[in-house]
Amino acid sequence: MDAETRRRQLVAAINRVAGGDRAALRLVYSGTSAKLFGVCLRILGDRSEAEDVLQDVYLTVWRKAASFDEGVASPITWLVAIARNRSIDRLRSSAASRAHAPLEAAAEVPDAGLSALERIEIGEDQARLKNCLQELEERQSAAIRSAFLDGFTYEELAERNRVPLGTMKSWIRRGLLKLRACLER
Amino acid sequence: MSDEDTIGAGDRQDLTAAEYVLGVLGAEERRRAEFRIASEPRFAAEVAYWEARLGRLADGVPAVAPPATVWDGIEARLSASLKVPAERGGIWQSLAFWRTFAIASTALAAASLAGLVYLAQVPSLGPPLLATLNAESGQASFVAAVNKGGDSLTIVPAALLSGDQQKAFELWLIPPGDKPHSLGLIDPTKPVRITVPEALLPQVNRDAVLAVSLEPPGGSPTGQPTGPVIANGKLASL
Repeated sequence: MDAETRRRQLVAAINRVAGGDRAALRLVYSGTSAKLFGVCLRILGDRSEAEDVLQDVYLTVWRKAASFDEGVASPITWLVAIARNRSIDRLRSSAASRAHAPLEAAAEVPDAGLSALERIEIGEDQARLKNCLQELEERQSAAIRSAFLDGFTYEELAERNRVPLGTMKSWIRRGLLKLRACLER
Repeated sequence: MSDEDTIGAGDRQDLTAAEYVLGVLGAEERRRAEFRIASEPRFAAEVAYWEARLGRLADGVPAVAPPATVWDGIEARLSASLKVPAERGGIWQSLAFWRTFAIASTALAAASLAGLVYLAQVPSLGPPLLATLNAESGQASFVAAVNKGGDSLTIVPAALLSGDQQKAFELWLIPPGDKPHSLGLIDPTKPVRITVPEALLPQVNRDAVLAVSLEPPGGSPTGQPTGPVIANGKLASL
């Protein structure tokens, strides 16, 4: 089965979930849970927290499937956004400090190991993002990657990089502005 | 090269969507951003833009198979979901969620029912409207009565609700065929008098449904129920 077929099946399954079809939720889960668990695990740094949040993620999918709009987001983009938002909310709500992954790890964005499903969506988009990130100053792109992948706040990023908060905000905001300008070229 | 000057106030405002997607905002700022997603289409489009672009960063995150217990947990929580009659429409299907709720009958219930019967006997223009808001179990969780004059209602807990202390209890009015309208937050431990917004007054009639959902502190950020519906019931004349 090719990637485009799988993408279409995923869209169809999400639409069925919107109608209250539990078997369809199982299909969505089978096709995407490993990816989303990886995303949750990366942000939360704790297996049992990530397992708990992953349940919330699919319950959110169940509840919000009706709001999925294929014209606005690809199914994987939509699902990853839910997984990241749930994970970040969990981080923000637990006052306790979390398992800190080394900052260096955040800089790696391996290209290997992509599923066929992801590959279909990537193509030009990913190449463009990669090129645009490369146009930023190293510290800007590293901060943006780390924020996205590890869910750090401005404060945490500033502390970990030993720079004042205002400096970190400025790196990221300028980076985002440049990134948008580059992406729209 | 300094591009300090190029970051104007307008740009900063624009970047909130990107900052939300990036995940650098604190809990309060995130709630505010979510409110804007629900209320400002332009802001929502901006968030979608960044999710599609920055989302590509997640491509490199390795997949990790979760243990089977995760799906078991999802199934268990789905099985506990509220079953609602189809005529209440799609939103109820999608809201049909239950957290574990301990509902215990107490003397409180008897006392509140007595109070409501008294309220309902106060002479009014028409027959008094009452609603019993039942939990999935069929047990009454709240009882509501439209007050004399019809512009306010009193809602009383009929059972002792315990559960998620972090949640707010929000009351909704759902006219037939319409979406839910918030009537505000209520207290699960004592009677609350709610003034009905003028625009909703014509909808307070025997066809409307009252429902209570669990929301983040401060109430639903979107203006629509976002959490599980813990009780609902139709207004009816005594």
